[in-house]
Amino acid sequence: MEAEAGDLVEVSYKGRTYRGILMPSSSQYTVIKLDNGYNIGIGADSVKLLKKAEKRGEVEREEESAEGKVAILGCGGTIASKVDYRTGAVYPSITPSELRAIFPELARWPIASKQVLSVFSEDMGVEEWFKICENVESALKEGAKGVVILHGTDTLSYTAAFLSYALPSLPAPVVLVGAQRSSDRPSSDNRLNLMNAVFSATQDFGEVAACMHASTNDDFCYLHRGTRVRKMHTSRRDAFKSVSALPLAKVDYRNQSFEAFSSLKNRAPLRAEKHFNANVCMVYAHPNLSPKLVEKLRDFDGVLFVGTGLGHLPLGFFGGKGVYKEVKELVESGVLVAIASQCLAGRLSHNVYSNGRLLKELGVVGDGLDWTPEAAYVKLGWVLGKEKDVKKAKTLLERNVAGEISRRSWVGDGYQGRY
Amino acid sequence: MAIKAGIEIHQRLNTGKLFCRCPSILCDEKPLFSFFRRLHAVASELGEVDIAAEKESERARLFEYQVYPRACCLVEMDEEPPSEMDKTALKVALEIAQALNADIVDEIHVMRKIVLDGSNTSGFQRTALIAMNGYIETSKGRVGIESIALEEESAGIVAREGGKAVYRLDRLGIPLVEISTSPDIKDGAHLKETAEKIGMLLRMSPYVARGLGTIRQDVNISVEGGARVEIKGAQDLHTLPLLLEKEVRRQKALLEIIEEVKKRGARPGAIKEVTDLFKDTSSKIVKNRCVFGLEMKGFEGLLGKELYEGRRFGTELSDYAKSMGVRGIIHSDEDLAKYGFSSSEIASLRASLGNCFVLVAGEEGLKALEEVKRRASMLFVPKETRKANADGSTSYMRPLPGRARLYPETDIPPIATAPLLPHLTKLLTPQELEKTLEQQVGKEFAKKLIKSHHLHLFLRLSQHYPPKLVASLLENTLVALRREGVMVDESLVKELLSLYAEEKIVKSAFPDILAFAAKHGLSVKEAVERLGVERIKGSELKRLVEREGRDFKKIISKYRLRVDPKELKEMIG
Repeated sequence: MEAEAGDLVEVSYKGRTYRGILMPSSSQYTVIKLDNGYNIGIGADSVKLLKKAEKRGEVEREEESAEGKVAILGCGGTIASKVDYRTGAVYPSITPSELRAIFPELARWPIASKQVLSVFSEDMGVEEWFKICENVESALKEGAKGVVILHGTDTLSYTAAFLSYALPSLPAPVVLVGAQRSSDRPSSDNRLNLMNAVFSATQDFGEVAACMHASTNDDFCYLHRGTRVRKMHTSRRDAFKSVSALPLAKVDYRNQSFEAFSSLKNRAPLRAEKHFNANVCMVYAHPNLSPKLVEKLRDFDGVLFVGTGLGHLPLGFFGGKGVYKEVKELVESGVLVAIASQCLAGRLSHNVYSNGRLLKELGVVGDGLDWTPEAAYVKLGWVLGKEKDVKKAKTLLERNVAGEISRRSWVGDGYQGRY
Repeated sequence: MAIKAGIEIHQRLNTGKLFCRCPSILCDEKPLFSFFRRLHAVASELGEVDIAAEKESERARLFEYQVYPRACCLVEMDEEPPSEMDKTALKVALEIAQALNADIVDEIHVMRKIVLDGSNTSGFQRTALIAMNGYIETSKGRVGIESIALEEESAGIVAREGGKAVYRLDRLGIPLVEISTSPDIKDGAHLKETAEKIGMLLRMSPYVARGLGTIRQDVNISVEGGARVEIKGAQDLHTLPLLLEKEVRRQKALLEIIEEVKKRGARPGAIKEVTDLFKDTSSKIVKNRCVFGLEMKGFEGLLGKELYEGRRFGTELSDYAKSMGVRGIIHSDEDLAKYGFSSSEIASLRASLGNCFVLVAGEEGLKALEEVKRRASMLFVPKETRKANADGSTSYMRPLPGRARLYPETDIPPIATAPLLPHLTKLLTPQELEKTLEQQVGKEFAKKLIKSHHLHLFLRLSQHYPPKLVASLLENTLVALRREGVMVDESLVKELLSLYAEEKIVKSAFPDILAFAAKHGLSVKEAVERLGVERIKGSELKRLVEREGRDFKKIISKYRLRVDPKELKEMIG
């Protein structure tokens, strides 16, 4: 019988024999785990099978009613991941029921769990958003007290924004949560984030939020509005910030404390508006932005430019090379064009410089709005999914739907409510 | 009793840190800020949770980390994935492996070794096995080198208070080469010799750090009929024989106690809360605290039995209690009156717990007594990780870790070694180097230099300056200055030699110049100017001789710091 990964083997190498457990290898070498726990890669002369590995039992997938419980929906990401020995990389694979075994603290709350997706968040798209949304709806219809969505962190803010628009009226909290350190390490932030997310899901409100580490400390989390949250660091635990807004609340399950900073939306009967036109795109403006590129955007139904400063594009106002003509043609061809700022925090204004005034004149949406690029992009797709008429779509786009646009600017620097 | 012993040597390297591009320095400034973390035990890839790791996580500690931005970045904070392994550190480790005649693995796999005491922010230490099956020759035959690993240093402990431990992050991530011998060591003297031989061999590499704390020895001892223990952190080679001797005595005494326990049929009994018995106590130890007691029926006289001077069976139990965060235990083989207990309190204790018992005060008392009970129930010598104390005694730290402690570090791809091998430099053996040094500077200096902290500085400088001059400067002048409390850094030495080569100063002025420069924070050039000791030579010297007369002794005694005696002699004839 051929030895496979996990089997006890004896290998010979440079005239000696070694016993160990055969590990998967991604190179030409044989990788074994020695008795001392180390893995080594060697050009083994022979591999002899000593003992087959015992097959580990499949994890049972319980499907249970969410009534009166917090429904935990597994949708991938580092918060629920394990090492994959075929590639040596970390993959999402732990089912929520396994999570219950890992986090004994979950016993504090009645929970139900379901594996919805196993996908990297960077590979998610509208199909996954719909699937998550449907699962949230069915959990709530079953009578869930709250919903927690385990999600990869990369595109968590996009999913959060979509759910915010698609579920404008909610009978219970819907909380997205992720982890920046994989769950296989003792220092993972998954525990604090997940416990605080579940604790948040038992609170009295009805909107989509994300719960993540507030700082590098393992002490408490912030709850962020689904349309305001943004990943602002590639790797830190406290990467997630509320942009141009205060966090919704400070959450500390250990002390049973849920301190709201701003008014949360009240519970209300479930209403869903699931639609999305995926034929929209987001284009990052930059010096030398090519008119050729803008010209090509006519194939889309909607275009979100991530502009500079107060919401500008290189229009070539003083007779220079610019994209004025192409943007004008884009709007005239019936494409819904909107703009957000690559400053991320702060409000756009199209009255201060002529560049802005020109954009306003052309009918580009953005003046006076303080949305994040992600919230704006998802909204554009959602609006165009709902409204085929560009004029009506434009009106809806400019109106606040889920907290993505505020009328007053918070006094701080725009991140996490700092001032 | 037959013993088997092996040694593990941990040697810090002075390259950059292993998995980030921070320098390997320890800081003396105040930390910029601190942050707090908690760690939790996780199952390994084989589905097991390690017993040592589990014990640590039971303590559920809070960890505070001090941040020194000069020496650490987000990697040490566990806020960024590790960078690739430092190339120099890897090269040096492989060179050491070759010098120890070991087989280098074809592909290096970096592993995560679970450590839950907080000394690593990630909860694991990154470590990689790079070579196996080496050996070193000793006076008592070959000692096998089982494995050579390259790993990261832990964070330094600052304080431990209650359920919290404070660590500093500057030390975390400095490369360590770990050399583990086979259990071929025969006795205490052999242990010391082996450690010295390996230490000397390591110092042949210029990238091996020197100074306090840069090398640590862990000793593995198996006693026939007893158990294997790992003794951590022996810093002084001279205590190694004593360490071995005391461990053998400890295990022998434990075996005798076990025999007696079996004979008596003694077993620890129930754990009871006895707080109420001390309601009106005047004993400071238990006043206003909860107190727990463990029945130890049949252990009379055994708790106080000495294993070796200063350590009793009670001390062993106490170590287990301490590992749960209490200060220690009180047991009935002690004079209980010395704790301030009244005779009526002692009587009610006996009424409640029997004649033989163990007491622990404080919130953690219950957990602590459960550990004591677990230890007292063992009818064997337990496999343990123990800590070396300065006097050669040891204390219990945690159970000996099993295999489940390591799992792959998936953030770092495996490293094939074949492309690196042609670039390795062969390290000289200490014998070869000493021979070369003898030819350059004579026997006496060679002996000094081979053991000196300045060995590699000498090797570098002697390529450009006369070896004897450099040797004398490093081993005489600098050593004498250091005794006076003057620390001279490398840059001053280099500048001094360069000015000397330019004939701007003379040898006899070296100590004065270096001392003055070091004390006032000046360059050598500035010190020479301030002291007014520029060399007088050539026509200037000629004029001096004309002025002072052709009297060698007179001129030298007057201008010792400015005139080169050889030049003067030639001039005077």
